[in-house]
Amino acid sequence: MERITVEPRDDWRDTAEAHGFRFHTIDNEVYWDESACYRFTLREIEDDLEDPSAEIEQMCFQVVERALADDAVMARLGIPETFWDFVADSWSQQHRNLYGRMDFAYDGKGPAKLFEYNADTPTSLYESGVFQWVWLEQAIERGLIPEDSDQFNSLHEALTGTFGRMGISGMLHLACCKESEEDEGTVEYLADCARQGGVETRLIYIEDIGIDTRGGFTDLQDEPITHLFKLYPWEWIMTDEFGKNVPTSNTRFIEPGWKSILSNKGLLPLLWEMFEGHPNLLPAFFDGDAGAASLGGDYVRKPLFSREGANVEIFQDGERTISIAGDYGTEGHIIQALHPLPDFAGNFPMIGSWLVASQPCGIGIREDTSLVTGNNARFVPHIISD
Amino acid sequence: MKRSKSVRLVAMGTGLLLVAACEEAKVDTALFESVKQCTTLGFSAQECEANYREAQANHVNVAPKYSKREDCEVDFGAEKCEVAPQRTASGGSVFMPLMAGYLMGSMLSGGRRGAGQPLYKSANDRSTFRTGDNKAVAKSTGRTQVARSTTQTASAKTRTVSRGGFGAGARSPMRRSFGG
Repeated sequence: MERITVEPRDDWRDTAEAHGFRFHTIDNEVYWDESACYRFTLREIEDDLEDPSAEIEQMCFQVVERALADDAVMARLGIPETFWDFVADSWSQQHRNLYGRMDFAYDGKGPAKLFEYNADTPTSLYESGVFQWVWLEQAIERGLIPEDSDQFNSLHEALTGTFGRMGISGMLHLACCKESEEDEGTVEYLADCARQGGVETRLIYIEDIGIDTRGGFTDLQDEPITHLFKLYPWEWIMTDEFGKNVPTSNTRFIEPGWKSILSNKGLLPLLWEMFEGHPNLLPAFFDGDAGAASLGGDYVRKPLFSREGANVEIFQDGERTISIAGDYGTEGHIIQALHPLPDFAGNFPMIGSWLVASQPCGIGIREDTSLVTGNNARFVPHIISD
Repeated sequence: MKRSKSVRLVAMGTGLLLVAACEEAKVDTALFESVKQCTTLGFSAQECEANYREAQANHVNVAPKYSKREDCEVDFGAEKCEVAPQRTASGGSVFMPLMAGYLMGSMLSGGRRGAGQPLYKSANDRSTFRTGDNKAVAKSTGRTQVARSTTQTASAKTRTVSRGGFGAGARSPMRRSFGG
């Protein structure tokens, strides 16, 4: 694995716009960054990222089983008791999941270490599956990267294929929050994939969803929402006013309710407890647990529900050296052994490993100049070239 | 090869996803106000009557419903409403607009799509035929082309009593994405 400098395509902004990629620059900061790329060998991709992702997914399923069998675990994860049956039913009835992104620290030398699993509402999907692919094709064509370059990226094929097999009859509604161009881009992209998979789609803002006289969810045309992809975290749904209608609504959710167990940072101590010593896991504990002391003074403290690095704190030699602002944390914390992201000339890449229908199918790399990958991170493409 | 063989997008960036009706494919059909108009255009009486009956049957289901005749007439015009066979929960009468016309689809486009779609005219726009869910279809009778979605029998409607119960979590100024 190495980070190599690449000449950006002179027309990449126009190409991005032409492909419907509107959020390539966010708040005047470059988000899509093709001035560099990461090169992996095929062995690194397959042995160190693809296989571990598949294995961890299976381990995660065991965590779901364990949580559903133990109310104390469900409580520890901060899942409201009124949702326990709903979550359990979504699992026992095998409600299908669409996608997730495992975030790894990896430097090509040791095993990839799982930082966290965004199993519920991962973004950076479009740029991973489509724009990164387009970059590879054009960069080869223009001689900017080796001719034999490949990419670990069958994300788009996996998504279009999976939608057709999810058993969606009738209309699929896709919802995101208002005022996020990035989230709108993500649901538009997924809607496109769903249509290619033969599924009829309609977009709606999460704030516009209604309730009818029987407690079912409705869209702006007053039609019932039978299948809902929601780019909106389960923990918010569960505490929102309409949350109480979810278990009786007859709406099938994507991601399914059982993903609320996995998108929770509490997954990390549960995985460690069940698979202690696994090469791809970092020691992790619920804050305040006896085992936490074994981490000494070097650890990371994360709220159970934090996203984009919010409220993450890094401690070194017992001193807090990095603290990210945010409004999470009242739900409880976990602590995880400190394993700094590798340093490639002052850039710290986080490798997002994509799973579609639980099968690994690609990676997307976000790079920050800080050890905590926050929302200033840039998306940097990758190649496979031995 | 570890990558997709192709990455094709069909709708993203075209605006199709958000405003589907603007770019929609058209289908050939015919619009009639009566069985007679239908037979005049050369269809058999049997076909025309079957289509009309189908439209009438759909009309009972998809026509907008009102609990007061006055409310119906505000939307559809004086003397343009009738009593629906349905009853309100408390047993009261239900009113619906008269069927102003219907779309014939099945004979022209092959499949069963759009057979007997009932159409209405609103009080403030007497020249336009509309579906039960208020999609404008056409302004004249006879053979015509209409947007595909208007030939589909209106989907089950429900009554929304409240909105805005989702999204509280997003009312934070700090995020650029609510996913992550």
